[in-house]
Amino acid sequence: MKYAQLIRLLVARELTLRYKRSVIGIGWTLLNPMLTSFVLWVVFSFVFASRLPSGQQFAPYLMAGILLNTFFNQGLMQSAESIASNGGVLTKIYVPPQIFAISAALAGLVNFFIGMLPLTVVVFISGQTLAWTFPLVLIVGICMALLVSGLGLACSILFIRFDDTRNIVAVLLMILMYLTPIFYPISVMNSTMQNIIHWNPITSYLDIFRWAFSNNATPTLFSWIYMCVWSAFGFWLGVYNFKKYWPRTVAML
Amino acid sequence: MAVIEVTNLNLTYRVLMNRTGSLKELFKEAIKGRARVIDYVALEDISFTVEKGEVVAILGRNGAGKSTLLKILAGVLPATKGSSKVTGTIAPMIELGAGFHPEMTGAENVLFYSVLMGRDAKSVKARISAIGEWAGVSDHMRFPLRTYSSGMVARLAFATATDEQTDVLLVDEVLSVGDADFKGKSRARMNQLINSGAAVVLVSHDMSAVRELAHRAIWLENGHIKMIGVAKDVVAAYEAG
Repeated sequence: MKYAQLIRLLVARELTLRYKRSVIGIGWTLLNPMLTSFVLWVVFSFVFASRLPSGQQFAPYLMAGILLNTFFNQGLMQSAESIASNGGVLTKIYVPPQIFAISAALAGLVNFFIGMLPLTVVVFISGQTLAWTFPLVLIVGICMALLVSGLGLACSILFIRFDDTRNIVAVLLMILMYLTPIFYPISVMNSTMQNIIHWNPITSYLDIFRWAFSNNATPTLFSWIYMCVWSAFGFWLGVYNFKKYWPRTVAML
Repeated sequence: MAVIEVTNLNLTYRVLMNRTGSLKELFKEAIKGRARVIDYVALEDISFTVEKGEVVAILGRNGAGKSTLLKILAGVLPATKGSSKVTGTIAPMIELGAGFHPEMTGAENVLFYSVLMGRDAKSVKARISAIGEWAGVSDHMRFPLRTYSSGMVARLAFATATDEQTDVLLVDEVLSVGDADFKGKSRARMNQLINSGAAVVLVSHDMSAVRELAHRAIWLENGHIKMIGVAKDVVAAYEAG
């Protein structure tokens, strides 16, 4: 593909730049999810660990949740910001701007895969082993990358046109995060809340991820269909709207 | 042979009156019934051609539509009506540093900028040290760009943009970079590109540079072509009016 080299450079740049001026550099990619997970584990393990079904372990349950949520949240925001922050280039040289958003999502995907190394360690420490379904996490990753780049593209147009949409999206993402069973088991909620959480698409991605990685959840056929539908819909939504509104938006950069 | 062919080009922006860039304000205006959309004509009925090896300057006051026209030629901004046809590779000589990242090294920036312009990463990698040398920054290529002086960044950008022969070179106010020594060197390279057949479109407020470099000039005023012709005539008229 014509733009493969550019995508590779953009992903590498995205991965290295974030920690360029820190001492341990890319090592933060490994440390960050571990530290966040540790703090939340200290806080919540007393409350929620006993509420998990037998055979499931709280530490990997929590860390898997954080890992996937970071991918979704950071990936979406970075993908959405990528167009505006590269406006200087995009108004001078013709490159399909979608490449910047997709590269940001792919960088999130790489971070997600790197984060699975410490997750594997935590899985073994807590006495579990990797499930034989492990390779399926690849599908979850790709589906999430599609969703992230699609929603990122859609948001990028909004961000350029209206400054305050950044704050609105940030609040929506926070609400969505609390409606995702990241640090609590879904069983602690009442049935109305369980229903709402069930319809949150991120819950499906997370259930499949936890199950595939170390059998820490029980996704259904619905979870799979729901995940695929949202990935396709999210990607289509972004690509379609970006194509439609970009010619009018580029003039505002 | 015409490398650039612009025919009856129009560009209209749809803008909100009292545009504020915030959803909240938009709602407020809409409720008061004041959210009116107006058409702002940035370019109207522009036609011209640029031949191989020809240098055409675009003159005009701020807001006349010069940069907008360059964006359309670069293929970044779609025209509302009419057409703009550019044949071959385009190398935009972008203002200092757009496309350059301060945290990346000189070498990384050269590679990134080149690939962005559609060049092949492999062949660029072999050229990086030569580009650094030509720009006079070979000792600094391993260091982040934030440690460079603005002159060094400008020289590196110029060296990268002009490293390969190109069919069209779009230049926006970047000819006066560097010291006298580098100016001479960059002029020589421009002439070499032009002599090898590159067409140049040049936006500049520096009339002596325009007189010296350009064959023809286009004078834009409020989005219209006010005058088009031999560079020194147009410059004379522009300076008089």
